[in-house]
Amino acid sequence: MVDYLYDGTFEGFLSCVYAHYYEDNASGIYRKDDYQASLLSGCRSIETEEKKASRVYEAIAEKISTEDLRRIYRVFLSSDEEKENKLLAYIRLGFKAGAGISLRHSNPIVFDIQRCEYRVNIETHRIKGLARFEALKNSGAGESGQEILYCRIEPDHDILEIIADHFADRLKNDPFIIHDKARSKAVFAQGGSWYISNFTDKDLPLLGEREREYRDLWKKYFETIAIQERINPSCQKRFMPARYWKNLTEFR
Amino acid sequence: MENTFEKLKILADGAKYDVSCSSSGVERNNSGKIGNSAAAGICHSWSADGRCISLLKILFTNKCVYDCEYCVNRRTADVPRASFEPRELARLTIEFYRRNYIEGLFLSSAVEVSPDYTAERIMNCIKLLRDEYGFGGYIHAKIIPGVSSELIHQIGLLADRLSINIELPTKESLSLLAPQKKPKQIFTPMKQITQTLTERRQLKGPGTMFKNHDIYRAGNLSSGGDLSYLEPEGENITSGDGSLTDLAGKPLAVRESRNRGKEKFAPAGQTTQMIIGASPESDRQIVKTSEDLYRTFKMKRVYFSAYIPISNSPLLPTPFTAPPLAREHRLYQADWLLRFYGFSADEILDEKTPFLDLELDPKISWALRNIDKFPMEINKASLDELLRIPGIGATSAYRILRQRKLAKIHFDDLKKIGVVVKRARFFITCCGKYYGGADIAPEYIKNEVLASDRIRNRLLPIDDNIQLSMFNPIANQQNAFADYPVPIADFNQNGKEERSISHG
Repeated sequence: MVDYLYDGTFEGFLSCVYAHYYEDNASGIYRKDDYQASLLSGCRSIETEEKKASRVYEAIAEKISTEDLRRIYRVFLSSDEEKENKLLAYIRLGFKAGAGISLRHSNPIVFDIQRCEYRVNIETHRIKGLARFEALKNSGAGESGQEILYCRIEPDHDILEIIADHFADRLKNDPFIIHDKARSKAVFAQGGSWYISNFTDKDLPLLGEREREYRDLWKKYFETIAIQERINPSCQKRFMPARYWKNLTEFR
Repeated sequence: MENTFEKLKILADGAKYDVSCSSSGVERNNSGKIGNSAAAGICHSWSADGRCISLLKILFTNKCVYDCEYCVNRRTADVPRASFEPRELARLTIEFYRRNYIEGLFLSSAVEVSPDYTAERIMNCIKLLRDEYGFGGYIHAKIIPGVSSELIHQIGLLADRLSINIELPTKESLSLLAPQKKPKQIFTPMKQITQTLTERRQLKGPGTMFKNHDIYRAGNLSSGGDLSYLEPEGENITSGDGSLTDLAGKPLAVRESRNRGKEKFAPAGQTTQMIIGASPESDRQIVKTSEDLYRTFKMKRVYFSAYIPISNSPLLPTPFTAPPLAREHRLYQADWLLRFYGFSADEILDEKTPFLDLELDPKISWALRNIDKFPMEINKASLDELLRIPGIGATSAYRILRQRKLAKIHFDDLKKIGVVVKRARFFITCCGKYYGGADIAPEYIKNEVLASDRIRNRLLPIDDNIQLSMFNPIANQQNAFADYPVPIADFNQNGKEERSISHG
């Protein structure tokens, strides 16, 4: 029994799962950066190997189900501190139980994973609504002057790549950047395709010409549409937790 | 821009009493220039009253020739008036949409000049959005009573959802409070929309109400509610029969064949809305009217709007009457029972109890009146039976069915499955054992449920995207109950952990 350490990538995690089966049983899987050595068990750093990772990847799709593979990936994107160990337990159970694993709602291992997935899904859905773009001047030389849409989010979970498709389809004629400030990376999209890269907002271009006017219009609309006789702040916060407010145009 | 700012303020203010803001019902990728649509709908913000903001909900104009007593925009009201230009509003919608402020447009209007005049301007604005701006986002268009069928058809081909407000639950109230709106004018477009959807085999219907029926055959199963007043007087409505022309004078049939499969008529169906508390109807009448609307027109939703006093009319509640928000909330719960839980209006409220209990949700009230059907065994009950158990919703009912295929369900599993155990425990047995306490008596159960509700009454159930729970008569007493003991004594007799129940 040994603690496996990986580099934080999904492939790295899968390599650890590989090692669990073909080398020594894992007592736990942890990110290298976050690991605090314990006295009880030794630890080993696992090199990320594509071959090993893809074997585990395919085995999950085949022996459990593609839906569970998707679920496992989504849970991997969550910020749950114990996610690696929960996932390992889930994968181990899945190899025994097969596709039926997702029906076992009351099994504690399955319950943990489904709850984690639920949180990621909820936030994904929320951010699709709560992401706010602002139009920035395109500083690139020789451009036709098309604005760039810039959006800053600080989600709990690492959902950037899950929401990218949605916005890339929706805004396919607008180049845009969705910046995950907490993780210092961003989606860059143009014409329906996108990629993710590191990003800091140090040198953002200036606001577009009419950006402030539309902001003010939106704020006015937001304020006007509430019915005074029904004011209910606790309800508002329940649907739209206050931690998201700082990036919302209507509260800035 | 200054101008737009003022208009937005006036015309959003006039639109805020429209309830529906839902952007659900259509899944569509971006095939134009901007915008797509997600079947589940997406909320973009929540205003200070806790209602979601999904669509840019706005009036095209608030200059009205009608004089409906309950309406802020009635002709005789002293409010600032404004109208958008179609291009101005289209531009605003696109700019809001690009910034992800909104999911689309909900365009309603006061009646300026005539219904047809107004509808044509609405249509032009939507057409501009769809054709010129290539907008693929969600559009909900309000149909004004009395609009010609050609215009309705045209608007339906552009919009995702159509709605005509029924306004009030009975004919008498309508003729009293909105004398210029005739029942027939409301009914005719509703019927036309349903017919067009039927012809195109696009009818979806409310929730799971027609789950086990052929929706195209399940005809006017009128439950004897108050919809009879909407029957037309010997008039047949024709629509989509090829004889209609579009604005350019071309027959519609030609246009349709060119875009076959792409052009859909109101793919998200139709909805309606009625005002609660402006007229003296009982909840039973309201629920029965809703049921009739669902059965006759296969509406997606019937919305309720608690009347907020805005005028001094002697026909209406006085300006200091609190809006009946608790009642509205209970009516929505009843509406859910109709659409998703297989209840009929007569089951929810019978003649002896014409009003919903404001303290208890309608499902528990029903269960207490029909206590002889309980307790149900979780491991044996059918889906329909499971759905009738308070504390079990559609999600947990399906989970129970799935898990039952693999293993027996034990009491401790229920919470993980998502059942609200503190409710359900009075109405179920699990592996033959009853966990609800000493006796299965309605009075006892009612007290237990109310006691636990008071402890956490700020967390009322959340329905759809609509917030309904602000005014809760018990809320004021909250502090008094802060130290109220959790009624757990009875579970302990059964040797069960408190934990799984008191947090249920």
